[in-house]
Order: sequence, then C-alpha cells, then structure tokens
Amino acid sequence: MMSFRKAVTSTALLLVLSAAPALAGDPIRTIEILTRPQAAQPQEFQSVQLIAQEWRKLGLDVNVKVMPWEQMSDVVWYQRDAWDATAWQMVGRPERSDPDEIVYNLFHSSTAEKGYNFIGYVSPEYDAVAEAQRKEVDEAKRKELVFQAQELLAKDQPNMMLVHPKQSFAFDKTVWDPASVVNQSGIGIRNTWTFLSLTPLGEKKDIVLNSADNVQAINPLYISGGVDSWVFELVYDRLARVGPDGLPKPWAAESIEWTGDKTVTVKLREGMKWHDGQPVTPEDVKFSFETAVSGEAPMYAPFASNIEKIDIDGSNITFTLKEPSASFVTSSLAKINLIPRHVWEPIIEDLKTKEENAESHQEQTPIGSGPYKFERWLTNEEIVLSANKEHFNAPKADRWILRIVPNVEAALGMLRSGEINFLAEFGGDPQVLIDAAAQDGDLEVVSTVEMGFRYIAFNNRRPPFNDPAFRRALSAAVDRRLIVKAAFRGFAEPSNSIVSPALSFWHNEAVVKNFETGGEVAAKILEEAGYTLDGDRLHYPGDQKETLAQQ
Amino acid sequence: MAHLKAALSRTLQLALVLWAVVTILFLMFRLMPGNPMAAYIDPTFTAEQQEALMAQFGLDKPLWEQYVIYLGNLLQGELGQSFRYREPVAERILALLPNTLILTFTSLIIAYAFGILAGAYLAWRRGSAVEKVAIPIVLTTRAMPEFWLGMVLLAIFSFWLGWFPAGGTRSAGSDYGGFWGLYTSPDFLAYLALPALTLAIYSQGLPLLLMRSNMLDVMKEDFVTMARIKGLSTWTVVVRHAARNALLPVMTSFAIAVGYQLQGNVVVETVFSWPGLGRELVRAVSASDYPLAQGAFLLIAVVVILMNLIADLLYSLLDPRVSHA
Amino acid sequence: MPELAIARSGLPTRLFRSLRLPLNDRFAVFGLLIYLVFVVTALFADQIAPYDPTEILYTEDYDLAADMRPGQEGFILGTTSLGRDVFSQLVYGTRSALLIGVTAAFMVALIGSLVGLVSGYFGGWTDAVLMRLADIAFGIPFLPFVIVLAAFLEPSIWNVVLAMALVLWRDTARVIRSQVLTLRSRGYVDAARVAGSSDAKIILRHIAPNILPLSFLYGSIAIGWAILTEASISFLGFGDPESISWGYMLQDAFASQALAKQAYYWFVPPGLCIILVVSAGFFITRGYENILFPKLGR
Repeated sequence: MMSFRKAVTSTALLLVLSAAPALAGDPIRTIEILTRPQAAQPQEFQSVQLIAQEWRKLGLDVNVKVMPWEQMSDVVWYQRDAWDATAWQMVGRPERSDPDEIVYNLFHSSTAEKGYNFIGYVSPEYDAVAEAQRKEVDEAKRKELVFQAQELLAKDQPNMMLVHPKQSFAFDKTVWDPASVVNQSGIGIRNTWTFLSLTPLGEKKDIVLNSADNVQAINPLYISGGVDSWVFELVYDRLARVGPDGLPKPWAAESIEWTGDKTVTVKLREGMKWHDGQPVTPEDVKFSFETAVSGEAPMYAPFASNIEKIDIDGSNITFTLKEPSASFVTSSLAKINLIPRHVWEPIIEDLKTKEENAESHQEQTPIGSGPYKFERWLTNEEIVLSANKEHFNAPKADRWILRIVPNVEAALGMLRSGEINFLAEFGGDPQVLIDAAAQDGDLEVVSTVEMGFRYIAFNNRRPPFNDPAFRRALSAAVDRRLIVKAAFRGFAEPSNSIVSPALSFWHNEAVVKNFETGGEVAAKILEEAGYTLDGDRLHYPGDQKETLAQQ
Repeated sequence: MAHLKAALSRTLQLALVLWAVVTILFLMFRLMPGNPMAAYIDPTFTAEQQEALMAQFGLDKPLWEQYVIYLGNLLQGELGQSFRYREPVAERILALLPNTLILTFTSLIIAYAFGILAGAYLAWRRGSAVEKVAIPIVLTTRAMPEFWLGMVLLAIFSFWLGWFPAGGTRSAGSDYGGFWGLYTSPDFLAYLALPALTLAIYSQGLPLLLMRSNMLDVMKEDFVTMARIKGLSTWTVVVRHAARNALLPVMTSFAIAVGYQLQGNVVVETVFSWPGLGRELVRAVSASDYPLAQGAFLLIAVVVILMNLIADLLYSLLDPRVSHA
Repeated sequence: MPELAIARSGLPTRLFRSLRLPLNDRFAVFGLLIYLVFVVTALFADQIAPYDPTEILYTEDYDLAADMRPGQEGFILGTTSLGRDVFSQLVYGTRSALLIGVTAAFMVALIGSLVGLVSGYFGGWTDAVLMRLADIAFGIPFLPFVIVLAAFLEPSIWNVVLAMALVLWRDTARVIRSQVLTLRSRGYVDAARVAGSSDAKIILRHIAPNILPLSFLYGSIAIGWAILTEASISFLGFGDPESISWGYMLQDAFASQALAKQAYYWFVPPGLCIILVVSAGFFITRGYENILFPKLGR
C-alpha cells in the first residue's frame, strides 16, 4: 500500500518536473472512492471496481478504498470534507413513492451541513424548485416541478446515478394462489397488500416468510429496521396507505379531502376496533399525531411537525398545516401509526418524567387495530401474527409467521423444502433463484425494478468535484449497461434519475434517454472544460492548483 | 486457615481478571473508529435527533465519566440499553443464553460420550490397523472449519436428503408453552440435530485423544498389572480399572471445553439460524451496538472464566500433587 | 573426528538440530511434505496462477466470465459469480494462509516462550505479574475478541495475527513456564550459576535449547488456529477483501449460493486446502509429542 502510494506520488512529481506545459494546472491528485467489502455488498464492490477502471482511462489516478459500513458512514456523514467519492444506496419504502423526501432532503442546501445532503450540493436554482414542488398541491403542476428537478440534477450530476436494482422474491405457488399476489410498484411483491390478499389453495394457510436480519422492535413510535416495518405495517393501521400503484389511498379514513391550501379533512372509518376490543375513536387519531411531536418519538416528529392543529367534529378530523405540503397524505397520513390512547397515554406521561423516550418502550403485546394481531415474538427466531378477522380488510391467510434466517443458502433451501413458503428477502444471485424455481416447479419468482437506487456520491465541496463539468465527465465515462451486466448480472435498470421508472408518474424518462455515456463523451466534456492530458495524467484547467494534499 | 487464604486469593484473582476484561472491553469499544449513530443515517435524520441520541446513550460525556458510569452500572448488574433494540441488554442476552447453552452442552455431551468410548477403544486396540486409520481421521476432523462442515452437513442432510430442517429451533408457529415443553419436544430435537452434530464432530477429537493417552498411561500402572496377573479378563481390566482412572482428567477438560465451545458457537449459529448469543454478538458488533456487544461478550467471558476456575479446582482436587503455588 | 564435525557446525545447524524435527514419524513427515508443497506454491504463486485473483475476467465475447464450470474457456477450476478465476484464488490463498499461519505461529510461540521463560526463570514478582496477565488473557473469549478487532480495525488479514499475538500466547507461556521451572531445579543450572554464569548465559545455553521444541510444537498448533480463525472471520463477513484467502473464497462461494449452484469446484477445494494445511500442523504436533512425551506411547 505504502509503496504503491509512493510510486504514484513520485510519478506525479516526475511529470510535473519534466513536461508540464506552461498553461496547464496541477495534475489532479489521486482520487479515492469508497465502497463496502465484497462480502457484504458484492454488486457495489464490483460496480466500484468497474468505475475505477473506466475513470483511469480518463487519465485519473483512482484508489478504491474498502471499508465496512460503520466506518464508511462515519467518514461520509461526520467528516464531510474528508472524502472524494463513495458508493451509496437508497432503499425503496412505500412512503418514498412520493418523491419529496428524496428530492428535498438529499439535495436542498439546508441539509448540507448536518442532514442528508452530505455531498454538499448547493444550487439556489435547485433549492427553489425543490421548495416549490413541496408546496404545490396541484398534481400536474407539481409533476412539472419534479421533472424540472430531475433535469437540473442531470445537468449538474451532483451524484453519479448507477442503477435501480431489481428485487427478486418468490413464493410457493402450490400453497398460494399466484393471482392473489400483488406487485407494488417500486417495492415488489413483498408488501402489505400481498400479505392481505394471499389466498390459500389448500390446507396450508400460514404465510411463512424469511428475513435475514433480526427484528429490532415492534414499536409504533420507533422507526427501526426495515424488517420491523413489515411487522408494524400489519399490526397498526394508518389513515392512508400507499397503494400498489405508488399513490396514497384512504385506509382507516373513509375519505381524505383537501378543504383548503393548508387544511385536510379526514373522515374516520366506522366500526374499527383495537385488538383489545375497544373502539377506535377520532381522539385516538388525534392522540397518535400529537404523540409523534410530543418529544417522546423523535423519529416520527418530522412527519407530523408541519401540523398546526387538529380539530375533531364527530367522525371528521381536520388537520391544519403550517405550510402547504403536497406530500402530506403520503408522508404523514400514510406514515403515522394509529395507536390506542388508553394504552399509550399513561406510558407517555410516565416517560415524560424519564430520560428514555417511547422508542425504548416495547409492549409485551403490541395493540394496534391492523389486519393482523400480534401473537408471539421469539427473540431472533420468529414472530407470529394472526389474522384479525374483524378487520375491514381482513387477510385471507390464517397466520403470518416471520422466520429469521441469516444464511442465504439456508433461506433458499427452506423455500424448496417448504419450511418457508414466501421468500421475502433474498441476498443472493437472482439467477440462482430463477434456476431453482425452474427446477423445482412449485415456485414462482417475481423480479421487479426497485424505487431505490445505487449511486456514486461525489463530494461537491472538494475540487475537482466542485466543478459540474468534471462530475458530468466522470459520470458519463461509465456506460451504465456495463454496471447492469457485469455487476448486477442483468438484474437492474440503468439510471440517471433519482426517481425510479417504477414510479412512472414522477419519472422523467427523457433524462435517462438523453444521457450520453462512453469514454469519448467524457473526454470531450473534460477537454471543453479546459482539462488537459499530459502524458496519461489529467491536469486541472487553466492555472488551477491542487489544493488538497496527497493522502 | 490455609484453605481460607487460598480461597481468598482465588477470589481476588477472579475479581482482578473480571475487572481487567471489563476494562479491556470498554476501551476496545470506545476507542475504535466508527460512530454508533451511523446506523441511523436516513434522509429524515436531523441534527437534533443526532444530539438527542448521543445524550440518551451518554455518548456526549467524557470518556472517563462514561467508564465510571459503566463500572457503576455493572456492579449493580446493569448492562445498559441496546442502541439498536432500545431494550435492556441483560434481558436480551439472558433470553438467548438458554439456546446457546443447550446447543453447547448437547454437542459436548455427544462429543465426550463418543470421544471417551472411542478413545478407550483405541487405547485398548493400540497398534492395530483400526487405530492407524482412526487417529489421522480424528485429527482431520479437528482441522475442518466449522462453518464449512456445517454447510456441507446442511446440504447433505437437509437440502438433499431432507431428513432434518434447515434452521431455527422449532417449526414455524409452533407453541410448546414454555421452556421444558420446547426443549423436550421431538420437534426441537430435529432442529437441534444438525447444529449439535456439527459441533460434536468438531469437538470429539479432544476427549478422544485425551482419553486414549490417559488410558495408555493408566494401563502401565501397577494396579492394572496386578489385576491382569489376578487373571481378570482384559475387558474387565479396561473398563473397571483403567477407564475409571483415565476418565477423571477427561472430565476436567469438559469444563474448559464448555468455555471454548461457547466461542465457537458464533459461526455455527449463523449457519443454522440458531437464535443464540454468538449470532447476537456478531450482529451487534457489525451494527456498532456497543452496549449489546459488550454485554454478550462479557457474558461469554464470565462463563469462560468460571469454567477455567472449575477446571482448576477440579484439577487440584483430583491431583493432589498440584499445589497452590 | 565426527565429534569435531558436530562441534564445528554453525548456529543454523545447531538450531535446526535443537528443533528435533520428528522425521521418524510417518505422519509427521507427511505433514512436513504438505507444508513443503504449500510453501512452494506460495512462493511461486505468480508463476502458477494464470490470473490475478481479484481481476474481473471476461469471455471472448466481452461478457463477464461468471460461473464458468471447470475447464470452460480454459478456467481450470471455473470462475466465481463475479468473474474471478477460482484456481488463481486458490493458489494465492496459499500465500495468505501461510503468511497468516506462520506469522501468527511465530508471534504466539515467541511471546509465549519469552513470557514463560522470564516468568519461570526469575519467579517472584515478575512471575506473579506475568501470570496474572496470562489469567486475564485466559478470560478473554478468543473468537469474539477477533470479531471485535476485525470489525473495528480496517479489514486486514493481520487482525487475526494481532489478536492471536495479544491473546493466544497464554497457553504457550504457561507450559513453557512449568517446563522452565523443572529445568531450573535441575542440577546443572545451579552448577552453572555457582560457576559464575550470568542469567542471560544460563537462559541461552541451558534453558532455551530445551524449550525450543516445545515452542515449535505450540507454534505448529497456532498455524492451524490462525488459518481456521481467519476462515471463520471471513465467513462472518469481517475478512479482508483485498487479500484473497481460502476463508474469503468460502465466504464468497456461500454468499453466491455455490451450494445451490452445485459449484463443488468452488467450495470444496478451499475447504480441502484448509483441512490439509491444518491437519499437517496436527500431524507434526503429534510427531513432536511422541518425541517430547514418549510415555504417551504410540
């Protein structure tokens, strides 16, 4: 490692001393790109190797640095000046079906210092668009703005978008009616809708599914791991739910209506009951939203902080907002879990006197009003839910049983042997799954494009990445088909937009279509921006000096 | 008096070792790079949330203060709260401990039962062709990576032959109403079989070789020769006299093996989706969940230290030549 | 004349002799042969392996050369799911295995022997302090300790070596110490002391040569431990992706469902290599035991 760096430095020195043309800037330092280990993230690792290979062809000296997630996130998040480029990913979640979270939080200048805009992208023009789409309640006009945001990002390339991966799930088609499986756009078939509608064909009526990671908590006031959300989305109702098409639908609400710029009126569904038999009241709903901002549930606070007040009139609940918010239904009404006041009020009161907050409170038996009731939780082994037959959208299955299986190979083996009948998580090679299904005959595999995405984040604070032309060139240097084929084995869609094609309403197709890639394209962009090649080493334009020391 | 003094010095020693392990643990987790808050990075993660989290877990205090608090809590049996699960660490690891102990003891009992019998047999058949083949095989089993062996057994007995389930401790959704109900059910035994077998194959080598060499030792001693001269059958000599005397040191090694096995479980628990302490430790470490990782580590360390102590005591009890020097 | 020849033989020969390699034991010789084969492979890895083990390979049609079966497109043992040559990885894996094994063994034997020697020879406070340190080391569960180190430090095969050096010297130290205690009580040490020999001289002359085989024995056990530990760490995902080891190969194979793909050529060879090298260590160890503790009998 040392000797390699030394060699690089001395070659660079040699070049500077011998043949530097009078007008060219300094040679660009060795740039470093971070990735997680191959064992943990094979596709990411492979992508970065391929990208580094292409960048080197432009005359850059590229060093791939492998770090485990804890260290990588520590550097990227807490040492925002200390890195050049890093592989990163966003995962799909139902509430991300509304583009606001990504459009705003990832790129708005207000989140650059401590929030998710860790790349330090600052563009007043973009800020204006991001703010405008947030407030625009008219859907068609908002779509325009979201399209515009995607175009600005395509022009500036603050990140190098790589792909939207395809997720593969499978189920036993001799147990479940394939027609009853719901494919939610951008999420895949593992979703709440599927778990409600899966119809048994024979005697087996339990959905038995797997997850690689442990369940952390079943707590309606704590946003914990991804797996946890599968559970609490079934146990708790929300006023709205994101539908299979990615758009919000009334759920525990009979209707949701915008009655003004800043007012939304919700009519609560009649006859709903908590799992302990008590009726669900508008007061419970009000309590649920107030608890989110009570200081005892900090992770939910951002989703309810825009609410000025909540008024109750019979079964009508009116939300008055501080600011107009287009994504309110998706990001608040479809996000906040409805919790029983008679259970949680004493708990919250007690917690207010203590240091811990509600995130640390695990109920023995979580009480919700959702389509499944909590039965049993065996630490790190399984969670059993049973169908709530009184629910307005009662599941067709009897039970929902989540098994924790950290070994990928075992998960596939269990699916084939019938120990599980719904493969809800598969960290392995999708082709293996498809082959296994073809061989087995009882299995059906469904692969869908995710709304999540993989990308290379550029540190927009550090030269040369502060130059949009440089970023554009680096991004253009890699044909995304290479990433799709050689890193994702075909199970991904090439990307140039933060909005996945799975979200067809918001996705700006032109941005992806018009994106030209290839080594020549990149070289041309660099040349036009004044970068020069000296020998095989790329130099800054004009008389720009290298301000960052070789690391 | 001498006994009291010895016991006192033993206790002091134990306390010293415990304190040192606890301190090493604390420093190891606090001085390593990586921020535990990194686990919560999310587009909606705000600066206020970060600070609140740091304060909640006491991470905003200076290191020495954290250490003092940590020691104080430990003395009260308080292991802190898990970052990830937001629940008391003690509760969590104690819930997982029985699974790990059952797996450990089952596999060791199988390993020792087999190892002792086979070891005695091989000593008896010293120099035979069986012995010539068996010893290298035994050595080879100890050279296999446990997870590799586990994966191969999984492929053969579960995926291919379908004799045993592939992971967990019971079939999906089954309820045995409590501790004993589960651990005595045939269902549980079927799930236990493969992981226990994997560990047993790995650990039978030690008792086997130990038993064999002890037997060879004992068989040379006078009383065995005497018995032989008395005209007792070889079988009686081997079983009644030699084996009984050779057995004691082997049983001492059982205590140490428990400690070792507990560490080795980490890998096998991952292969067979066994909800145990080792898997939790690995997960906690990779999620930078310091309190949980520390707690799990500490619990394993305490068992190891206790088992070492038991082995020591047994040893000095069985072999009066070992003094307290 | 023969005596003269012996007396004149240089230090390396004397050292070699004092190692007392168990050459009369068939299994031990077999073990040594296995070591030899792997050492040669490791030394000439660059010549033997057809590819760089981490290089991404393509077929003639510029497709990723992934999951090739043995022999296909000229890949001796096929390729991995990410298009790396399995055979080359196996060959280079020898290098990491021996590197880890030998350095770990060296550290364990060296630290353990030194501690044991000093502790046993000087006794008193030195002994008390060192043995309490050993007690502490005995209280640290080894594998969890390695996992924590490997997770927090930069991923590297040296983490395993470091952890072994920090913890596993304890067994060697205890055994060497008791051996030194026995040696010290023998007449010739006292005689040497009376004759005015310095401590250093007594240790070097009379004690060290006698404990060398024992250190070597513990060293050869440590080789196996190191390789197995590295494999376990890799399997759990804390391995070093930069240096290809057999453990890393197995992890890669299992994570890519080599079992489901029935890619035996991928996950069997690294497993066999580990077994061979580790059991070679055990065979040699046993050969030693038969020399050192002949009463154990054969």
